[in-house]
Amino acid sequence: MSHDQGQTLVNMVNQIAANLSGGRETADTVEGVCSHLEKFWARAMKQRIVACLDEPDCGLEPLARQAVARLAERRGAPAA
Amino acid sequence: MIQHFDPSQHDKAFSKDLGTPPPAADAAPVSVEIDGVAITVPEGTSVLRAAALADINIPKLCATDSLEAFGSCRLCAVQVEGKRGTPAACTTPVAEGMKVTTQNERLARLRRNVMELYISDHPLDCLTCPANGDCELQDMAGAVGLREVRYGFTGENHLEAEKDHSNPYFSFDPSKCIVCSRCVRACEEVQGTFALTIDGRGFDSKVAAGQDEAFMGSECVSCGACVQACPTSTLMEKSVIDSGQPEHSVITTCAYCGVGCSFEAQMKGDKLIRMVPYKGGDANHGHSCVKGRFAFGYATHKDRITTPMIRDAIDQPWRPVDWDEAITFAAKRLRAIQSEHGRESIGGITSSRCTNEETYLVQKLIRAAFGNNNTDTCARVCHSPTGYGLKTTLGESAGTQTFDSVMQADTIIVIGANPTDAHPVFGSLMRKRLRQGASLIVADPRRIDLLKTPHLEDAQHLPLRPGTNVALINALAHVVIAEGLEDQDFIASRCDTEAYRAWRDFIAEERHSPEASEAVTGVAADAVRRAARTYATAGNGAIYYGLGVTEHSQGSTMVMGIANLALATGNIGREGVGVNPLRGQNNVQGSCDMGSFPHELPGYQHVADVTARGRFEAAWGVELDDEPGLRIPNMFDAAIEGSFKALYVQGEDIAQSDPNTQHVEAALSALDCLIVQDIFLNETAKYAHVLLPGSSFLEKDGTFTNAERRINRVRKVMPPLAGKADWEVTVDLARALGYPMEYTHPSEIMDEIATLTPSFAGVSYQKLDERGSLQWPCNAEHPIGTPTMHEVDFPIGRGRFAITEYVATEERSNRRFPLLLTTGRILSQYNVGAQTRRTDNQVWHDEDVLEVHPSDAEVRGIKDGDWLGITSRAGQTVLRARLSERMQPGVVYTTFHHPGSGANVITTDSSDWATNCPEYKVTAVQVEKVSRPSEWQRRFDEVDRAQREHLATAREAAS
Repeated sequence: MSHDQGQTLVNMVNQIAANLSGGRETADTVEGVCSHLEKFWARAMKQRIVACLDEPDCGLEPLARQAVARLAERRGAPAA
Repeated sequence: MIQHFDPSQHDKAFSKDLGTPPPAADAAPVSVEIDGVAITVPEGTSVLRAAALADINIPKLCATDSLEAFGSCRLCAVQVEGKRGTPAACTTPVAEGMKVTTQNERLARLRRNVMELYISDHPLDCLTCPANGDCELQDMAGAVGLREVRYGFTGENHLEAEKDHSNPYFSFDPSKCIVCSRCVRACEEVQGTFALTIDGRGFDSKVAAGQDEAFMGSECVSCGACVQACPTSTLMEKSVIDSGQPEHSVITTCAYCGVGCSFEAQMKGDKLIRMVPYKGGDANHGHSCVKGRFAFGYATHKDRITTPMIRDAIDQPWRPVDWDEAITFAAKRLRAIQSEHGRESIGGITSSRCTNEETYLVQKLIRAAFGNNNTDTCARVCHSPTGYGLKTTLGESAGTQTFDSVMQADTIIVIGANPTDAHPVFGSLMRKRLRQGASLIVADPRRIDLLKTPHLEDAQHLPLRPGTNVALINALAHVVIAEGLEDQDFIASRCDTEAYRAWRDFIAEERHSPEASEAVTGVAADAVRRAARTYATAGNGAIYYGLGVTEHSQGSTMVMGIANLALATGNIGREGVGVNPLRGQNNVQGSCDMGSFPHELPGYQHVADVTARGRFEAAWGVELDDEPGLRIPNMFDAAIEGSFKALYVQGEDIAQSDPNTQHVEAALSALDCLIVQDIFLNETAKYAHVLLPGSSFLEKDGTFTNAERRINRVRKVMPPLAGKADWEVTVDLARALGYPMEYTHPSEIMDEIATLTPSFAGVSYQKLDERGSLQWPCNAEHPIGTPTMHEVDFPIGRGRFAITEYVATEERSNRRFPLLLTTGRILSQYNVGAQTRRTDNQVWHDEDVLEVHPSDAEVRGIKDGDWLGITSRAGQTVLRARLSERMQPGVVYTTFHHPGSGANVITTDSSDWATNCPEYKVTAVQVEKVSRPSEWQRRFDEVDRAQREHLATAREAAS
């Protein structure tokens, strides 16, 4: 099993996005995922996932990527 | 210091046997006169009980207030003015104006005659009898003034009846039996197992277990209710036979499951002789299970760690040291690691087995002295989705009811829980309600024992495929909506309208219908429709759930789905209904309440909440981090990556209990400093650099909070084996880290908790001692606590329906791993087994086995007892096969009570999307016959042997 931490975090955000998408507007999903990360993720995990935005094929699904980009914006880091 | 018997902790009403149970509390008052004394009691009270309440003590043998009146011994015969004969006081209810005589010459003669008959067939070895000093028969012989037995002792009798010592904890000596049926009735009425019966008629009548077999061969579950009910020494604890009668007792709280039973610890000096469930205990009302009553021997087991130990590397032997040296060593290492790798490179895990006060201190140590929020607790791997799901929908991270509430339920849904094994005392209460006629719906891949409740009619079993909970709960909710079964008034007055509309539109979609989801869940659409109707139209519908709900990739979604269903049908906010998580460990509710999670301060106050954080900063005199810290699985990942270097673990065995053991082992091996505080050398301690002796629940003061939010007192009955209670160790470590904590008693810690945690504002040891227990929230608004939550409104105002999209787990069966493994528990063992494996409970379950359906076994050529290799994406282990039809074909099942079984070697990293609670309940596996243990097991044995040798060397050095 893969234990690259970056990959683990990408999988986690994708999973959160998948669970927050059904029956919701896209905007709600993006906001839901972003605030979930803000509320529950440790600082280092947030930094790490934001850094993933710089990797074009990091594996983030589209909605997950939008949510992470919003997280990056709110944290003052430049969005990719 | 030993605390001896304190009369204030015993309520008189609970220390006296009033003969028959109380009637309904709201019954109308009835006035009677007994021996000239006027007394008013509720209608339905027996004459025996009414008299006892007035301290008029009528002789009795077959009556006891934990059981319904039976009227067989005739000793409590009385005379009632205007009535003929001498009715039994136990079976005669009071009537207005009734005049009763309990003592006169005629009654005295009658009672002496009764006793004479009893004693003519009873051994006269009172002086050497184990019940001497605690025998109701002896007391009654004295009370009635029995002076001679005219029949002699030579006639036909039962004095040579064979004894049964098969149970490890109690003996059965039928020669002393008076056939009062109290044991039989306790087994039926209190425990609900029906293992005992009266065999034969007339003179031949005798108590028999099962089909007249030894207790251990029968279906007896060794709860001990019969032993407690026996008025003679027929059923007697072996510990009392060995040691004699206890001389003082202390009321305390059991440290096993989340039911949180109250016990009288009956002592001789500082030796615990027996645990007797306390009648005044609000969670258990005088009942217990085989673990709480009997399995306490671990506390004085030779394996207990009694000296602090340290070592520089985990392949070295332990060095026994004094407390100061161990604490200094630990503190220096922690600070060195932080200065090299940063403030966030260390963390800790609080214990769900320790007290609230201890848990509070560990998270305080981490937040204030470590300076980060890297705190978590084993609730991460069990009920963290409950916290998330219930907070989102109902606004509070806790169950809504008392246990007693089940007695008002008309329909009971049990999802992914096995109360008769994992929460036995509550399981018995539930069975009692089911025998009274409540409907039962069980949603579980496995046919659990609750479905085999005697006299249960018409139970519904929804045998869903593991991992499809959300599809099932959505289908149930769809039926409620589609068939117009929702409680419109409740929804309109109590729930958020917009959230409800959005949810209604979502759930009404055809794809959520039982017909559409049948292919996913494997549950027939008709069965789902019927279950939904039963629940929604019941009157009172109550949902109980366990780890079969939370330990999934959609655990949090499922918890919200359950809350949705309860909200939609108005089953929230009164007795008999509710959403009830059955918590695993004794204090898992408390550890969550006490701020163990990395994102929440005590009382579920988010670390980013400026006001709440400000209160803690002011009280603790430090600045606190406003970002959440790492959760347990994140800590493991960070450790493997190299950014997380030290961990303080109090009372939790992550190496055995967490999933994907090899990953956990890799993480623990990567740490520069692992500090383990435990009562035994557990699996985690094998990777530790500092081993601090823990104290058992018998060795300290504190509180536990059970699954019904009930805060119960834990009282010290013996001194800590290694000299310090766990909270004292944390205080020492904090001081060594330069953050002094000044407490002289756990009550002071609770006082601090009360000032900082709004839901605990009204809690103090004084109030706990006065009231026995308190259910939080306990504050100005609810000064004596809150038995039922959300009666008027929700902490978030209105109940919020949540969208619960079913997302199939990635952990699914395929050609390589065609079976689904699910895991569970067994009655006699507790969690990782560290405690129960060190007791005689081993006789019931000394190895974990793999249950396989006969059809899966047949295609693989597997026979009962074969060694099976079980392989998943994560690893392989070997267990013995047991063929069983309790699961559907395609599903295999095991328990995880023995470390060498390696059940968690095969469970994977798959986890709940919201909380990272591991998906223990679904692992795709292949199973095949093998001839030897797995590679992991062979390695485990080697490590185990080496670490035990290190410990033995250290012990020799210390002695």
